[in-house]
Amino acid sequence: MAGAFVVEGLHKSFGALHAVNDVSLDIEAGQVHALIGPNGAGKTTLFNCITGFLRPDAGRVLLNGNDVTHLPSHKLVKSGIVRTFQITQVFGELSARENVELAARSREGLNFDFFRKASACREAREDAEESLEVVGLIEKAHLRPEELGHGDKRVLEVAIGLALNPEVLLLDEPTAGMSRTETERIARLVRQIAERTSVLLVEHDTEVVLSISDQITVMTQGRVIAQGPPGQISQDPQVQDAYLGAVEVGED
Amino acid sequence: MAASPDVENRVEDASRTRSREVATQVLLAGSALLVLAVPFLGASPFFITLLTEALIFGIWAMSLDLLVGYTGLVSFGHAASFGFATYAAGIFAMNISADFFLATIVAILTAAAVAFLTGLVVTRLSGIAFAILTLCICQVLFQISVVWRSFTGGLDGLIGVPLPTLFGREVEPGEEFYLLTAATLIICYLLLRRVVESPFGKTLLAIRANEDRAAAIGIDVRRHKLVILILSWMTGGVAGSLFVFLKAGANPMTLYWIESGNILAITILGGIGTLFGPIVGAIGFIFIRDQVTTMYRAWQFSFGLAFVLAVLFMPSGIAGIAERIWRRLWPARSS
Repeated sequence: MAGAFVVEGLHKSFGALHAVNDVSLDIEAGQVHALIGPNGAGKTTLFNCITGFLRPDAGRVLLNGNDVTHLPSHKLVKSGIVRTFQITQVFGELSARENVELAARSREGLNFDFFRKASACREAREDAEESLEVVGLIEKAHLRPEELGHGDKRVLEVAIGLALNPEVLLLDEPTAGMSRTETERIARLVRQIAERTSVLLVEHDTEVVLSISDQITVMTQGRVIAQGPPGQISQDPQVQDAYLGAVEVGED
Repeated sequence: MAASPDVENRVEDASRTRSREVATQVLLAGSALLVLAVPFLGASPFFITLLTEALIFGIWAMSLDLLVGYTGLVSFGHAASFGFATYAAGIFAMNISADFFLATIVAILTAAAVAFLTGLVVTRLSGIAFAILTLCICQVLFQISVVWRSFTGGLDGLIGVPLPTLFGREVEPGEEFYLLTAATLIICYLLLRRVVESPFGKTLLAIRANEDRAAAIGIDVRRHKLVILILSWMTGGVAGSLFVFLKAGANPMTLYWIESGNILAITILGGIGTLFGPIVGAIGFIFIRDQVTTMYRAWQFSFGLAFVLAVLFMPSGIAGIAERIWRRLWPARSS
């Protein structure tokens, strides 16, 4: 189910600003690929270009060899490219279970089913439960997002993504604002879901990134400055200069 | 230890929800029976006619609730769905056939066609832009109905629409027409209830909450908005068809923006996102207007004041308050 995912020479400018400048990524099926870089490096813009929320000026996005560059967001989801958001955007008035069921029904092509009761779609219900089980939220499935802790809400985002049965799951800062324990939980979860889907994640926590990624891409000012496995990236002087060093100083 | 009260709560919650659901079904069935029984309870012809109009407005308000309550699209041009259909059904009845089913189908199809064209533009928008553009489109349709005299009768409107027929038999004004209206309302309510509880209905909720998030779970936001707009206008078209037969005529003022405002106020006062609330709001509006207009001229003022107070103090409308009382009546069962 995990798909091979390629981004080729993607460009996006806003006026004179090259937010994303000739970025290429190559993600093998089942890999965890991390995208790191300081704020304003263009990571979220890249995400938005890949997932149809922005139109790239140039470049291509390929899933299993098929060009999916200019598909609108909802079609990308059908093709297997699914994203979560940096700021948690689950549906507040639905329970955790209903949030995930909504995604499961969508995947099953029931969005235009008018006459069945939504609550009677059993397959979607089972799929949703499976997703909640995977992320460890099944015990809290009846709660509404506002009743969940911050960590659980972020995990709920992942469950919604999984229910869409992605080939590539793009996670936008899944550990943002999390405690150490919660961060570790997400790190484990990402490794675990890589068995069923390729993962591209934007992440600030370098420790997490180095421990869970197969490949890392480092961006600054819209450009890729380094790409490779964690061991190589952590040794790269240019990266230490631009990013890793700066973070360490900041944390001390 | 921590889990057990939680589990208990959940079980209690479930049984409470279930008994309340049963009670709600009973209440709805009771209301439907009551509505159908009104003519047999010795109501005056005047009351029957007024209630007929109220129920027609109820169908119309329900149709707006689909947009405002369920999809979060505040339409300020919903008079168009209704007014345009009154002309379609009226012109058809005067020239071709007064069969209620046929005229209503014509009204529904016309409303659907105009909704489709409108939707091509307005589904790109939401929020204020959506409200303003629907208002503009409604005003354009109003102007057309005034200017295209040979077809619409201009400012005089259509006069002399015949009585409707049903299975070849003329429907008498008064009680018979009331029953036809009440039955139509109940059918519309049941159908729309189905729709809002369907998987499609739930996608509307997602769109209302957050369009980007909805797209990110594979919902084609524009298409869903277009479909619900068409469905809403079709329902408004049913109300329009009933209205033209009730009044035996059509008037361009039904397309005027004030009517859009009235129906929006009715829907919000009744309680959006409930389908039932807007019907209650419509009945309240028609009867209060009838009382107040005979007392003094500035009734619009009192309606406006009531609206402002209601929005301030009962944001979930009459239905919201009723629901709160309902929850009190069916509290947790500790067994």
